[in-house]
Amino acid sequence: MRWGMVIEQKRCIGCNACVLACKAEHFLPPNILWNRVLISETGKYPAVNKLIYNIRCNQCAEPKCVDVCPTGATRQREDGIVIIDENECVGCRYCMIACPYQARSFYEDGDAEYFPGQGLTEHEKIGKTLYPHEVGVVQKCNFCKERIDEGLAKGLKPGVDRDATPACVISCPTQAMHFGDLDDPNSEINRLIKEKKGKPFHPEYDTKPSIYYID
Amino acid sequence: MIGTKPYDFMVKYTPQRDWIEGHGILIAFALFFGGIAGGLYLVSLYFDSLLGMFIAWILAMVTGLTDMAHLSKPTRFWRMMLKPRTSWISRGFIFIWLFLGVAAIQLAITYWTDGTAIETVFKVLGGIMAFGVAIYSGFVVGYVGAIKLWNSAIVPILFVVAGVAGGLALLMVISVGESFLSADVAIALRAVLIGYAVCLAIYLWVATYESTVARDSAMRILKGNIAPVFWLLVVLLGIIVPIIMLFTADSTAVFIISGILIIIGGVALRYSILKAGVYSPLVPTD
Repeated sequence: MRWGMVIEQKRCIGCNACVLACKAEHFLPPNILWNRVLISETGKYPAVNKLIYNIRCNQCAEPKCVDVCPTGATRQREDGIVIIDENECVGCRYCMIACPYQARSFYEDGDAEYFPGQGLTEHEKIGKTLYPHEVGVVQKCNFCKERIDEGLAKGLKPGVDRDATPACVISCPTQAMHFGDLDDPNSEINRLIKEKKGKPFHPEYDTKPSIYYID
Repeated sequence: MIGTKPYDFMVKYTPQRDWIEGHGILIAFALFFGGIAGGLYLVSLYFDSLLGMFIAWILAMVTGLTDMAHLSKPTRFWRMMLKPRTSWISRGFIFIWLFLGVAAIQLAITYWTDGTAIETVFKVLGGIMAFGVAIYSGFVVGYVGAIKLWNSAIVPILFVVAGVAGGLALLMVISVGESFLSADVAIALRAVLIGYAVCLAIYLWVATYESTVARDSAMRILKGNIAPVFWLLVVLLGIIVPIIMLFTADSTAVFIISGILIIIGGVALRYSILKAGVYSPLVPTD
């Protein structure tokens, strides 16, 4: 089993719903993003092309971050998800330097508020209890492993059942994102990759990403 | 990434900031101390300077402490030795600790029972560990494939040569009381400085045609915002002025001034290379 994702670029409208869903799901502090929407333009008027790339940790099969981590805090689960053990991270940031996709964030300011000087919102207060983030360590997208693990325990199928699927995927209003098992030849994501010739983002980095993009 | 506009992040060339801004500047010093500690020990072995070996031992400790000071969780520092199979930071940290242990024993043996076979054994072991301390920082940087300027086989060589040059400079300064030793070190230093200049030139020259992102980084060093530090501190004061001084005079003042200039140039070299590291854009743009 190796969890993966397919993103249909023509469907993505750059609304950032996935970014906000991720923020809410993991109670991410200010200045921390586990996923981003990158937008650029190519060409000259009137032949202008707007490119929208929805990016996050690629959960690479051969991750550089795992190699360089001196403590073993960054490691790979059997299902391919790359995780960070906050209790083992020393905060050297070598993993952040080594990631060619720059998908990692460093949680530096534990006192940061979404509305500076106004105190914490109720949502932030709840987050500090429900999903505490250790200050001074690196963090990143974990494919909503909590949703996957709890879903599997309930007999649900990630990518099919909402409760077992990453928050960004189920929040997408255009259904541009698909989730599933890359090792299952009959999974929807494998069908999409085959039919629409899905390609990983910047394969030249040779890390074998688990996220594929299709037009 | 603090300081990067959201719409620029990985859409344009994005500089690395984690290892140069704020607390990250300590990495530049750690790379420098590692190089000079290893270099000083090796040249002190060659010139048989016990004081040089002792200062190298102190500098190796400073390297470890600087590395630890950069950590946001310094009390977990021991964990950094757990992944030597794949991580160059882990390997480097082990080299530092082994060097500290071996060199401490060697220093004690040399001080009390000079000329024994066991002393030779520990000098050889200390030399191997010192070489590891000098070169590991080059591999830490050179392993990062995401930053094309750093991802070069020349970086470890450059860092070792710069470390040896810094080591010789420091040995020249601390041995000014022994004029014959300072003069010998100065002669060696001239040759090493020329080699260092050649390594640096080859490194940047290769970077300019290796890839567009490496070229962008090299141009930041040669013509961009890092150029004043590079040309003034690394090239002029760190290499050219000391070479001229060492070829034209051999007074104590020349040894001290040129030695200090080379050491400052060594710090500036690490700063320049770290500061110039940029990531290639993920999204195509005009």
